[in-house]
Amino acid sequence: MISNLGKLGLNLRTTLIAVSWIPVALTFNENVCYVAKIEGKSMRPTLNPSDKTHTDWVLMWKWGAKNPANLRHNDVVLFKSPSDPQRVYCKRIKGVQYDTIQTRHPYPRAIVTIPRSHIWTEGDNAFHSTDSNEFGPVSTGLVLGKAVAIVWPPSRWNSSLNQSVGRGDLSIKGSAI
Amino acid sequence: MKGTVGLWLRTGSLALRSFCLVHVINSHFYEFTETRGESMLPTLAAINDYVHASKKYRNGKDCQIGDCIVAVKPTDPYQRVCKRITGMPGDYILIDPSAKEGDDIDGQAFNSYIRVPMGHVWVTGDNLSQSLDSRTYNSLPMGLIKGKIIAANDFNKPIWHDGALFGFRSIENSYSDEF
Repeated sequence: MISNLGKLGLNLRTTLIAVSWIPVALTFNENVCYVAKIEGKSMRPTLNPSDKTHTDWVLMWKWGAKNPANLRHNDVVLFKSPSDPQRVYCKRIKGVQYDTIQTRHPYPRAIVTIPRSHIWTEGDNAFHSTDSNEFGPVSTGLVLGKAVAIVWPPSRWNSSLNQSVGRGDLSIKGSAI
Repeated sequence: MKGTVGLWLRTGSLALRSFCLVHVINSHFYEFTETRGESMLPTLAAINDYVHASKKYRNGKDCQIGDCIVAVKPTDPYQRVCKRITGMPGDYILIDPSAKEGDDIDGQAFNSYIRVPMGHVWVTGDNLSQSLDSRTYNSLPMGLIKGKIIAANDFNKPIWHDGALFGFRSIENSYSDEF
């Protein structure tokens, strides 16, 4: 009887210790890194290259990802959709703050200057992508993280995230304006 | 020697777990934090005013016109702003009610109207003359909303005054439909 009670106490203690580490795991996943599943074909051929085979999972680096100084051209980022906070988009950065960018249809203006702490994002697969050409520059406060590598499936471990960079260089240099 | 290392490890792990627990509560449930600045006068004082924010409303969930919210500033992800929602998605907004006929700043007429896009809200400070808000940085994406302010404590007030501890008052939705 006494040994049973002792065993129960030990189990309870182990459970409590395990539970006390849950916030640590949550904080780590929300602020440092996280593995995210990529859905849709907007980043083809970089991510999800074909319909049939598989879905890519990427390692997301979150620490400092909201800082405009850490976001560079051609980085792949995941961010909350400006038009629906529940949706997450994965796109490539085609312009950083203060850049002047050539847009494409359906954006209402041909040339746009990116405001402070905003980025211009586009999918590599320009014809199947809902991106900044629809919703305009994105505040870096909405960025959740940078995609740094493909972690699953293993056959994709060697694929580079920069093998295709969408529309190329969109920036308009100062003299051209 | 071994005992000292063990003690440091135990203390460190306890500190880490406590810090993360507080962080999770602050970002998902409730936060008590200081606000600064004149933009929300007279609702919130310029200094020494602390607000109770409910994180249930983050990402603009269940937010309504007239609610006071805490949000990340669209032009600086490391600054937070406290404003009142004055326009919901789809509403037509007069950009600046204080602009006079013919005002023209940088080629933009401020006495014009704009439609708030889907997933965005229009936010303004209660003190329109001292507030940097949607009139400058346009509609705010709901994804930047961190929480709704439900109450505030003013530490400029004495501990107990008029039946309120440190000037405690709840922050109400100020919206009134005139029609």
